[in-house]
Amino acid sequence: MTSLIDLDNVGKFYGNIIALKGVTTHVNAGEVTCVLGDNGAGKSTFIKILAGVHQRDEGDIELEGRPVNFESPREALDNGIATVYQDLAMVPLMSVWRNFFLGSEPTKGVWPFRRVDIDKAKAIAKDEMGKMGIDIRDTDQSVGTLSGGERQSVAIARAVYFGAKVLILDEPTSALGVKQSGVVLKYIIAARDRGLGVIFITHNPHHAYPVGDRFMILNRGHSMGNFAKDDLPRDELIRMMAGGAELEALAHELESTER
Amino acid sequence: MSEIAAATGDQPVGGGAGKPIGVEGVDERLAYRGVFQRLLIRPEIGAIIGAAAIWLFFWAVTGGFGTAGGILPTMAVAANLGIMAVVVSMLMIGGEFDLSSGAATGTLGIVTILLVKDVGELGGAGLSLYIAIPLSLVVALAIGWTNGVVVERTGLPSFIVTLAMFFVLRGFKLGFSKKIIDNISVGRVDEGHGYDFFVKIFGSSWARNDHTWDARDPVYMVLVLAGAALLALALYEFNFRRRSPFNPTGMFAFLGGLAGVVAGIAILHTTDGVGANALAALVITGSAIVAFLGLAVWRYERQSAGSVEITGTSLYLVVGGLVAIGLGIGAAWALDVDSQQTVLDLVGFARWPVVIVSGVVGFRMSYQRLATHMAVSHEARVQGIVAVGWLTLLSAFGAYAFMFMATEQGLRAMLFATGVIGGLITLAMAAHRLGRALPAARSVVLFLIAVSIAVIAFFMRSQSGTPKFRAEAFTVLLALALLILCWGIVSAVFVQRRHGDAAADRLASRVAIVGGAAVIAGVLVRLLFTTQDEIDAGIPPAQFRVEFLWFIAVTLVATYVLGKTRFGSWIFAVGGNKQAARQIGVPAARTKTQLFMIVSAGAWLVGLLLAFRLNTIQSGTGNGLEFEYIIAAVVGGTALTGGYGSVFGAAIGAFIMAMSTQGIPAARWNSDWRFAFLGMILLGAVIANNFIRKQAEASR
Repeated sequence: MTSLIDLDNVGKFYGNIIALKGVTTHVNAGEVTCVLGDNGAGKSTFIKILAGVHQRDEGDIELEGRPVNFESPREALDNGIATVYQDLAMVPLMSVWRNFFLGSEPTKGVWPFRRVDIDKAKAIAKDEMGKMGIDIRDTDQSVGTLSGGERQSVAIARAVYFGAKVLILDEPTSALGVKQSGVVLKYIIAARDRGLGVIFITHNPHHAYPVGDRFMILNRGHSMGNFAKDDLPRDELIRMMAGGAELEALAHELESTER
Repeated sequence: MSEIAAATGDQPVGGGAGKPIGVEGVDERLAYRGVFQRLLIRPEIGAIIGAAAIWLFFWAVTGGFGTAGGILPTMAVAANLGIMAVVVSMLMIGGEFDLSSGAATGTLGIVTILLVKDVGELGGAGLSLYIAIPLSLVVALAIGWTNGVVVERTGLPSFIVTLAMFFVLRGFKLGFSKKIIDNISVGRVDEGHGYDFFVKIFGSSWARNDHTWDARDPVYMVLVLAGAALLALALYEFNFRRRSPFNPTGMFAFLGGLAGVVAGIAILHTTDGVGANALAALVITGSAIVAFLGLAVWRYERQSAGSVEITGTSLYLVVGGLVAIGLGIGAAWALDVDSQQTVLDLVGFARWPVVIVSGVVGFRMSYQRLATHMAVSHEARVQGIVAVGWLTLLSAFGAYAFMFMATEQGLRAMLFATGVIGGLITLAMAAHRLGRALPAARSVVLFLIAVSIAVIAFFMRSQSGTPKFRAEAFTVLLALALLILCWGIVSAVFVQRRHGDAAADRLASRVAIVGGAAVIAGVLVRLLFTTQDEIDAGIPPAQFRVEFLWFIAVTLVATYVLGKTRFGSWIFAVGGNKQAARQIGVPAARTKTQLFMIVSAGAWLVGLLLAFRLNTIQSGTGNGLEFEYIIAAVVGGTALTGGYGSVFGAAIGAFIMAMSTQGIPAARWNSDWRFAFLGMILLGAVIANNFIRKQAEASR
């Protein structure tokens, strides 16, 4: 079976700074691939290359077996790669349904009387979010009044509805509390069960481990390897994620200063 | 998977039992918000209330503000300002400013005329208007396109870019005018080929005095009454729970009552004398109550008898409100309306007790505030004692100064206005407090409000010398009292809705739109036509100008575009969060550039309207007006930060500005004060709108 996305030895340089080098991984449909890394590990660069914001400087990306090169976010989106950014790409003062359809509003009528089909948009927005298990009271509510988890859920439902094959989630749980993070993880599972390939970027192994099928760990722009869930016990993941030996050294150092 | 289920154990579960019957498409967790609550969170509500208040104010203090001769010129002033305010507010919702918009209006008028002219050393192009007008539109769009592209490409604030454009246009206007026709006023668009055709579109007007229609008043009356009845129906439909099936008896009572009201008004207008007037009043009141009750019987569900107990704070509010109204009326009764005597002379020796009491009150209030503070340290004690001393002296002296400066006449007006308005507001607060929990008790309070208003109406009529208050205010106040009375009776007997009802809301909004349109049509009939009687009485001529139709058209189109089209959604999105909008696939740069082009197309329209009205355009025309457009938009509820606002509000804002332009000279004040007035309106409006917006965000 060919995977949805194959990355082979992808790298990115900003001038003489190596932001990303030698990243090789793949994403299968119906699987969650977690990309873990500390701050500055190259996670953002990795997302931006996939989302078409930046272009890679070396390596190959294949989408369903054919090589691709996204010039713009729009192009990536048209190829079924939807990204839910950390800042969510939402307009706080606009209602949920307008945000849901922003940029792709359903219309009716002929120009110059072409107008947004408001009833249809509201119904679809409520329905689609219901399918994901998201329960919004009123789609006329402005997004600014939703909680962080609810906003994430709207963004995920939107990406799923607009035919995303691959869903990239950039640190969706980093600003959330424990319960809200749990809600978002549930939506990740829901998206996976609907056959999407999910790329879940996080620095929290406790969030990644329960939902992930495969893990890629980035450290200082380099990939520390790909692991299937079965090959990687949770403690090992946590250890690798925190920089392994570095953490042990740090723990030792902290212990010694306490005395 | 089990870990996730545990983490999300208390996720709210939708659906569930207890969904009220007959409610489709509404989530049962949403509390039903009445029509007033929904209106109160609209961005333009502050502007509408402000416009009404300012209109009332000028109506009261000027001679002609309520007549067609006063309103039609205000509409003409509002039109040019309003067209630009509407397009500028669209741009502001999109998150940008255009400081060149004012200068552009003059520029495009001048461009059109210069294209037509065939004189001077270099000569104009000597084109026909059929070519010159589309060509100047192209120039306009090019100006807007340049603004937009420069803003987008350079990433500079639009403030700077359009300020530069403002100076460029200003220079071009002067430079080209002087170079081509050697004059700073560019004139005579009427020499152009095709003038006769285009003047109908951009320059025609309707002289009211040339259009007599003797059936005007009955038509006006019928339209306004029918509109009011429809608005009442809509209000009821928004608020009461529908019964099923409907009861047709009520419908006949409603229609009968309506006929009775019309008959009563006919009696009033065709007869004279106290007895006939009393009979008419009786017929109108009785029929109105029958009509409203009939309407409710026909469509809504009865409720079981409620409690009429009024206790606690509400009771104090009711008593306090009635006492305040009584004191206001009593003061107006007791004091002499023509007296220029100061209050000091009026109270005689009693001035000293007043001064002493004010001093004591000042001492008590400041001491209570500062007592705890004074216990802190020695220094604080000294400072506190000094402060208390000052405030005591200040209140005593303030009371004396007030008595010295206020005349008896002024005191009377002040006491009457504060007593009556404060009392009515207090009563309304009591009614609001009793709310839906105690509908019967609230109805008692509404009944008291209706009676108070009626008493005030009769009192004002007996006291006032001018026909404005004797007839107009009297009629309006009595009608208001009648409506409140009917509302009170009906809401005591019928069940008010607590849940959304999409079908009822839809019907109600449609009925409300038709009713509103009927009322507006009635008012227009009265504004556009005159009667032979009025001509014989020698009313001054007034004109309705085509600018106003353009203004209405632009406002309607802009409202439609913002609310219903994709482009409208994108405007809000690029103004609210441009980065997000772009990430999600909204063509942000294109949207903003198109907005700049819309603004300059608006400037082109206004430029043409000016050219065809004035025939000559000065090179300074429009300079500096861009701030008035922005003020009108802000007064109308558009956020300076973008992403929030309404073009309808901007249109109302333009009306507010036009009323102050026209009203200040009409009130015989020096028109220099206009800017002080505008400044205060701007500040007040921004504060009010900010407050409303916070409420809106909290209640959504």
